Amino acid sequence: MNHVVFISFKLLSERKRQAIVSVLGVAIGVTAFIVMSSVMMGFQTYFIEQAVDINAHITLKNEEQDEADRILRVAYGDGVISEVLGSKPKETKDKIVDYKFIISKYMKSEDVKGVAPHLTGQAIVRYGIKEKSVNIIGIDPQLEVKASIIDRFMEFKRLNQLNVDRNSIILGSLVARDLGVRETGKKVTLVAPNGSVHVLKVVDFFNSGITSLDQTRAYLHLRTLQTILDRPNQVNELVFKIKNVDDAERLSRVISRETGYYAESWQKAYSNFLKIFRMQNWITYMIVFAILVVSAFGIFNIMMMTVLEKKRDIAILKAIGFEDREITWIFVFQGVFIGFVGATLGCLFGYLLQEWLSSIRFEVVGLIRARGFILDRSPVYFAYGFVFAMFFSTLASFYPSFKASKLFPVDIFRSGG
Amino acid sequence: MKKVLEVINIKKVIRDNEILKGISLSVEEGDFVSIIGVSGSGKSTLMYIMGLLDEPTEGEVFFEGVRVDFKNHRLLSEIRNRKIGFVFQFHYLIPELSAAENVMVPMLKTQKSRKDALKRAFSLLAELGLRGKENRKPYELSGGEQQRVAIARALANDPHIIMADEPTGNLDSKNTEIVMDIFLALNRMGRAILMVTHEIELARRTKKMVEMRDGVVVGIR
Repeated sequence: MNHVVFISFKLLSERKRQAIVSVLGVAIGVTAFIVMSSVMMGFQTYFIEQAVDINAHITLKNEEQDEADRILRVAYGDGVISEVLGSKPKETKDKIVDYKFIISKYMKSEDVKGVAPHLTGQAIVRYGIKEKSVNIIGIDPQLEVKASIIDRFMEFKRLNQLNVDRNSIILGSLVARDLGVRETGKKVTLVAPNGSVHVLKVVDFFNSGITSLDQTRAYLHLRTLQTILDRPNQVNELVFKIKNVDDAERLSRVISRETGYYAESWQKAYSNFLKIFRMQNWITYMIVFAILVVSAFGIFNIMMMTVLEKKRDIAILKAIGFEDREITWIFVFQGVFIGFVGATLGCLFGYLLQEWLSSIRFEVVGLIRARGFILDRSPVYFAYGFVFAMFFSTLASFYPSFKASKLFPVDIFRSGG
Repeated sequence: MKKVLEVINIKKVIRDNEILKGISLSVEEGDFVSIIGVSGSGKSTLMYIMGLLDEPTEGEVFFEGVRVDFKNHRLLSEIRNRKIGFVFQFHYLIPELSAAENVMVPMLKTQKSRKDALKRAFSLLAELGLRGKENRKPYELSGGEQQRVAIARALANDPHIIMADEPTGNLDSKNTEIVMDIFLALNRMGRAILMVTHEIELARRTKKMVEMRDGVVVGIR
């Protein structure tokens, strides 16, 4: 194989300009793949991790059903009733009966890390002349820390303050900003849907980095909210933290079947986002695929041209005893070498670009809030980029190499080369 | 004398055109055979078949007494590499390689080390009057020098026979004389040579002259 490698590199080294263009094409493709993957996946992973861990892996709810509607449907069947008018929804219908029993049951399960009760509702929070509509969530801080990681996002780590002072509230950081509450200890007024008005002390700010949560949420103690909403001893949600997040879908079906309530996995709750992410990934990978294919075509073109220009050399090599497979390898090696150097350079450029991107600081305000790019710097993207580049460049060089090996030397000699 | 190469009743048809019409010929050890004929007489086609580069439509080829199986490409490549040296009208040197590297190529194919191959390449080039030009690229050499590099390449693996297709066809009279002298010297050292040419004067200097016309041998001197 020595002679094949010798000739292969000699041919390549004498065509430096074309080789460099091909190598750069591959390198750019690999760099794009690594950087785009790490930016996209970094953002998505961050969003999913935050969103999933803050909320719940599984949420158990009593799906609100209109009782009249339900009865009519049971009596006449789904196909007969098209719409039921005149029934009025009542808040109490969404309560989860025996929630303490459900909590104690699943706390013993091997798959479950923690279960916490929630009572959720809506209210208006006022501070001075400013007011803002928020989703209020009543929690039991002791159980909550076992079922979610909201304590991690408390700016002053005072989640437990809800236990100490029952007339306290934790505001989402953007809710506080919109209301003008800049420090803890301030008193805000909460207006419940039943019209009752309550003065609560702000004890902490909740700052998850996910805009949609931080600008709509406020946390109170479960007992406080039960009192405010006049729903004593009631909860309307149970949140589950499980050991394997990817098992949420299956477990939600089990819990739903066992409890009779509607259990929603995080995948279902965030299905819209996951769909968007999937689409985003497809678009990203299609772009990167296109870049790699274009660079592969570059290699293909150069190799084809080389084969056409090198017909005389191929003919004499065959005449002096080179076999078809050796001629093939002479050209395949060139493609492999271009792919290898391009992929290695691409990995290096990708790493340097990641370093640069991670050093840039700017405010990101959108679906999430961050300072700069959130990168997933997994080595997997380097490995994939390297393998794809090697695959495409080898593939691109294979056909021209095969064509070269099939040249009939006598035809070349007859035509005078 | 032992026959290096023998063809028996060789026919070659290319696109319904019968190029060779039953030719029988042999080259023995120490022979210097020239094939002459006008353009289109089939002399190059015959040389390609005898050089195992092309397959006859009919007939048999024997190399050193063994019938050649044209389906065994590996064996054909092996024989061409180790036992036959080719020289063509156009030198067919690889432009990216130096003179010495061009001579090395057939040797590297035989798994000879690069060092040994380079040593022999230098020695062959020196024998052919190219000392000091070993590292020059083909485009830095004259036509005659290029052809001498091609001859050195043909001699690289110490072949049993040299096949030359119009080796002087592209050279001036001075270089023609040099190349012819090299062939005659090689033949004197016992090397069998088969040369295709259309120059009768050169053919007369060989030991055996075969004249071809319209795909048949019309005379052997």
